[in-house]
Formats: sequence, structure tokens, C-alpha cells
Amino acid sequence: MIHSVLLLVAEAAAEEAKGGLFDIDATLPFMAVQFLILVALLNALFYKPLGKVLDDRDNLIRTSQAEAKERLMKAEALAKQYEQELAETRRQAQAVIASAQAEAQKIASSKVAEAQREAQVQREQAQQELDQQKADAMQSLEQQVDALSQQILQKILSGVSLG
Amino acid sequence: MTIGTMFNLLTYASPLAELEVGKQFYWHLGNFNIHGQVLLTSWFVIGLLVIVSVLATRKVQMVPSGVQNLMEYALEFIRDLTKAQIGEKEYRPWVPFIGTLFLFIFVCNWSGALIPWKLIHLPEGELAAPTSDINTTIALALLTSLAYFYAGFRKKGLGYFGNYVQPVAFMIPFKIIEDFTKPLSLSFRLFGNILADELVVAVLVFLVPLFVPLPVMALGLFTSAIQALIFATLAAAYIGEAMEEHHD
Repeated sequence: MIHSVLLLVAEAAAEEAKGGLFDIDATLPFMAVQFLILVALLNALFYKPLGKVLDDRDNLIRTSQAEAKERLMKAEALAKQYEQELAETRRQAQAVIASAQAEAQKIASSKVAEAQREAQVQREQAQQELDQQKADAMQSLEQQVDALSQQILQKILSGVSLG
Repeated sequence: MTIGTMFNLLTYASPLAELEVGKQFYWHLGNFNIHGQVLLTSWFVIGLLVIVSVLATRKVQMVPSGVQNLMEYALEFIRDLTKAQIGEKEYRPWVPFIGTLFLFIFVCNWSGALIPWKLIHLPEGELAAPTSDINTTIALALLTSLAYFYAGFRKKGLGYFGNYVQPVAFMIPFKIIEDFTKPLSLSFRLFGNILADELVVAVLVFLVPLFVPLPVMALGLFTSAIQALIFATLAAAYIGEAMEEHHD
């Protein structure tokens, strides 16, 4: 029944004047079918393989990016740790230097004090010796003065007695 | 056909200025007539697409180059287009259909604009872009209609008819009319644009055979690309609309 109707329609179409812009015929279903075949073909040849490549690449990029980020974080943590250690070490070094300087200062000042004391002692000694010698010199001078004055006195006295 | 005869008068000028509107190169398949010239060019287009696809995926590399690069660019473009219309969650199964619509129409249009088909003589009619034949565009538009019905029914079952009362019940007649106007507008937009472009170029080539048609030809290339994009985008939008969830 349907088949005969289709045949009638086809015959009617064939009897009509062929051609024209809006000549709709069996090209339409044929085109639809071959378009669907093209969809299937391209799906197998193009969309699936290349889509897989795109997804794989996305995954690769995402994972390597995550890895890189993780590594960067680790590196930053390490850098921070090193910096902290460095700061600690620097502080220790500073402390060592400060204590060494203090010690050196102490030693230097004690040495200076000792030297000053020694110098003081030596000076006092020298002063004492000097005083001693001065006293000695004075004493001998006095004796000489005494002798000389005795002599002068005798000379004068003798002159007077003669005169 | 008066237009046809008018343009046939012009055929003495040059083979490129020749234009036969509404003349078909008939093949007979049992009781059915088929437009041979449309199928010949469409086979060329299909062959081209298949060959390029094979070339692009012959040895797939992680770092693409050459044809693979080009086709990856095309695929990403199609994916973005489909994703934008259908949505992140559902777009993947529709990429082949929408993508093939775009590629097929695009290559058809550009083959009509770039390849001097008219230099190949047929007993009757002439070779042109397959999309300048109403059969091709109606076929594609009807497939799109089927596709969005399929998408709607697959997603929601009979609940798809709920779409017809969205957002208000009196939309039913308009929604039903829409089901007819969608394929109609899709097919006639594409058909009209491509045919008009071919006619304008042919008439200009006949009138001024040198340089003057070039801007129109360039415009034709642009229109052809835009029409392919419009068809694919609208098809994706219709499918996306059919699958859209209504929350009320």
C-alpha cells in the first residue's frame, strides 16, 4: 500500500516539469544518509583520535603543572629554611664576634692597667732612687761645706792673729 | 524557468560567467531522481574531509605539527562552539555531529567559492557548492531537527514535552510552530546565502570579467564561513535548548 503510494508520488514527480531552484527529490534523503555516514567516518577518523590527543595533552599539562607547583613549593620551603638557618648562623657569628671582642677588650684593658701599674712602680722606684741620691749628694755637699767653712774660718782666724 | 533562460543567454561570455539556475544533472535511481552535480561535489567534499582527517591522525604526536596542528585547531574550535551552546556537562557526544555540520558546510561553501567547478562540463546543469542546492540544506536542517528531538527525548523522556509549556502554557502553539520554522529557516538561510553569492559573483564576472568581482568574491568567502558557523551554532543551540533543565 505504502509502496504503491510512494510509486505514485514518484511518478507524479517525474511527470512534473523537471528542474527549478526548489526541485526537492531523492537527493535529500541521499544527502542525509551520506552526511550521517560522514559523521560516523569523521567520528572514527578525526574526533575520537584527535580528541584523545587533546585530552591526553590536557592531562599531561595539568599533572606536570601540579608537579611543578609542588616542586616550587618545596623549593620555596627549602629556601626559607636555609634563610632561617643562615640568619641563625649569622646571629651566632655575631655573638661569637661580640664575645671575642669583649674578651679582647678585657684582656687589653687588663694589660694596659698592668703596664700602667708597672710603670708607676718603676717611676716610684726611680723617684726613690733619685731622692736617695739627692739626699746623699746633699749630705756629702754639706760635709764639704762644713770642711770648707772650717778651712775658711781657720784661714781668716790665722790672718787676724798674725795681723 | 525564465531566470534560467536569462542566465543561459549569458553563457557565450566565458565558461566562468556561465550560470545555469535550476538546471539539474539528473541521475535516475529506480523511480527516483537525484541531482548528480550535487552529489559529485559533495563526494569531493567528503573525500577531502576524510583524507585530511586521515592525514591529521596518521601519526599522532604529543607536540602537533602540520595537518595535525590544523585539525586540532579545528577540533578545539568546534569543541568550544559546542561547549558554549550545549554546556560543559552534555556537549561531548554532540561534538561529532555539530563539528561535521560545520566542517561539511564550510568546505562545501568554500569549494563553491574557490574551485572553478564550472570549467568541468556536465551534460546538463553545472557543478557548484552542494549547499547551493535546497536538497542539501533541507537534509542538514531535518537532521538537526531529528537531532534535537533525539537529544530532548533521550535526556528527559516524555518530559521533553514539558518544554512546550515553558515558561507559560500559552506558548504551546508558538513552540509547535518553532519546530517547523527552525529547519525551514536553517535550510533557507544557508541555501539563499550560498546561491545568492554564486549568482552575484557570476553576474559580476559576466559584466566586468576583471578585478571588480574580487571584493565580492572575498565577501563571498566571508559569508560562506559565517554561514557554516551560524548553521553549526544554531544546531548546537537547538540541541542545548532541548536538553535544558527547567527549574520551577
